[in-house]
Amino acid sequence: MARRPHRAALNYSQVSNQPDLDRFPALRATEDRRSFLRKAVVGTAFVAVGGVVAQLLGEDIVLPARADGRPRLPPGQHAIQALKPMGGDEGDGKFETFRLKVHGHVAKPFEVDYKALLGLPQVEKKADVHCVTGWSLLDGVWKGVQVAELARLAEVKPDARYVIFEAAHGYTANVPMKEATADNALVTYRLNGTPFALDHGAPVRGLVPDLYFWKSAKWLTGIKFVTEDQPGFWETRGYNNHGDPWREERYA
Amino acid sequence: MPNRWRAWLRAIHRDIGYLAIGFTVIYAVSGIAQNHIEDWGDVSYKTTTRTFAIPAIADGVPDAVAIQRVADAAQLGMPASSLRAGDEIRLGYASGAQVTAIGTQVTVQSRERRAFIGLANWLHKARGKKAWKYIADAYALLLLYLAGSGIFMIKGRMGLRWRGAVVIATGVAVPVLYVALAGGPGSQTTHEPDEVATTGSAAPAPAPAPAAAPSGLKPLPPDDE
Repeated sequence: MARRPHRAALNYSQVSNQPDLDRFPALRATEDRRSFLRKAVVGTAFVAVGGVVAQLLGEDIVLPARADGRPRLPPGQHAIQALKPMGGDEGDGKFETFRLKVHGHVAKPFEVDYKALLGLPQVEKKADVHCVTGWSLLDGVWKGVQVAELARLAEVKPDARYVIFEAAHGYTANVPMKEATADNALVTYRLNGTPFALDHGAPVRGLVPDLYFWKSAKWLTGIKFVTEDQPGFWETRGYNNHGDPWREERYA
Repeated sequence: MPNRWRAWLRAIHRDIGYLAIGFTVIYAVSGIAQNHIEDWGDVSYKTTTRTFAIPAIADGVPDAVAIQRVADAAQLGMPASSLRAGDEIRLGYASGAQVTAIGTQVTVQSRERRAFIGLANWLHKARGKKAWKYIADAYALLLLYLAGSGIFMIKGRMGLRWRGAVVIATGVAVPVLYVALAGGPGSQTTHEPDEVATTGSAAPAPAPAPAAAPSGLKPLPPDDE
């Protein structure tokens, strides 16, 4: 059994911080692991710091205020150049099978297919949209039919207070009548002259620019007018029931 | 047999580890894909979009002729369905491809499912899959066992007395620090919505109904209220 040399016998000028792996091969695994852990920690820190720096150095655009006096970009938002796909249970995306049911607390419920939808009075609206995850798309030109027009055609009853946007696979989003029947709230099928891709809600999605973008249901199947609030998919999963971007109503 | 329980713990940990490998790959890969869906899109599919211009089609051109012109330009064969409405011509194909002509601009959208990541994402989203929900629950319980038993796998300084404790504390500190620094969900300013917003507002004064409803509206029976 090898004995450790007495301290006095060591020549410290020849002592290295590194173990002699040739003499002690059993230490090699430990050294390899330490080396790996060091590199992993440095690599992780590099990626994390890089991410933070990239966030801090992101473009800080100063935009003129909106006509209503509110800032163009709501607090906590940053502008991007194109819609981002945010997931969801997709519909089939086909214009052939598209049907929109307008129903609920109305005198004349009805259903339209894609062709009939395009036969209704059309509008084009320039609108900004704001995703609850922090991005905003500014100055999009959206084409479609105003929800207010659908309300008029269905003869919504005066005591209806909410609109439920219904979408594929049972997704719903609740919107107060004020925002849902605003001038800029649409059932839309085109953005900037281009049809929606499937992951953006093709063929037809909702548009409620005054609220966070999850309220603008993709793969739209129905517009339902109701007298009592019916919190929808995200509203029952920790997100705010209303979702005003300027009040940062992100979470419940 | 003072440490017999530890031997059992390790043996079960090992076998559950083997059992969990397939699930872990599925959930880890699809979890990363889901985390980055903003940047990568839905990686379950390979999506292709191409646009090109065609000569303008006059309003007076018969629908069948206009549709044929767009189909010829798209070069995808005969469409399974077609439509001309408003300023649009749309073609649908059995492959799922969709062609939309708006004025002189044609957009062809097509996509195909990627085999592994497509299935992994499908499995990860437990909604609508009754049996898988319980399988996923079982996997989550197995993960809890792996995590719990891992704490006691090794005794002494390499275990909870030093190294294990330090590494566990580091792992626990990451989410704790994140929440502390980010402030957690409550850090977002949430104002009380005004009365109109919380309660909704009454429907706008109904405009006079049109003399005749636009064509294409299919009347429905009233909902049960």
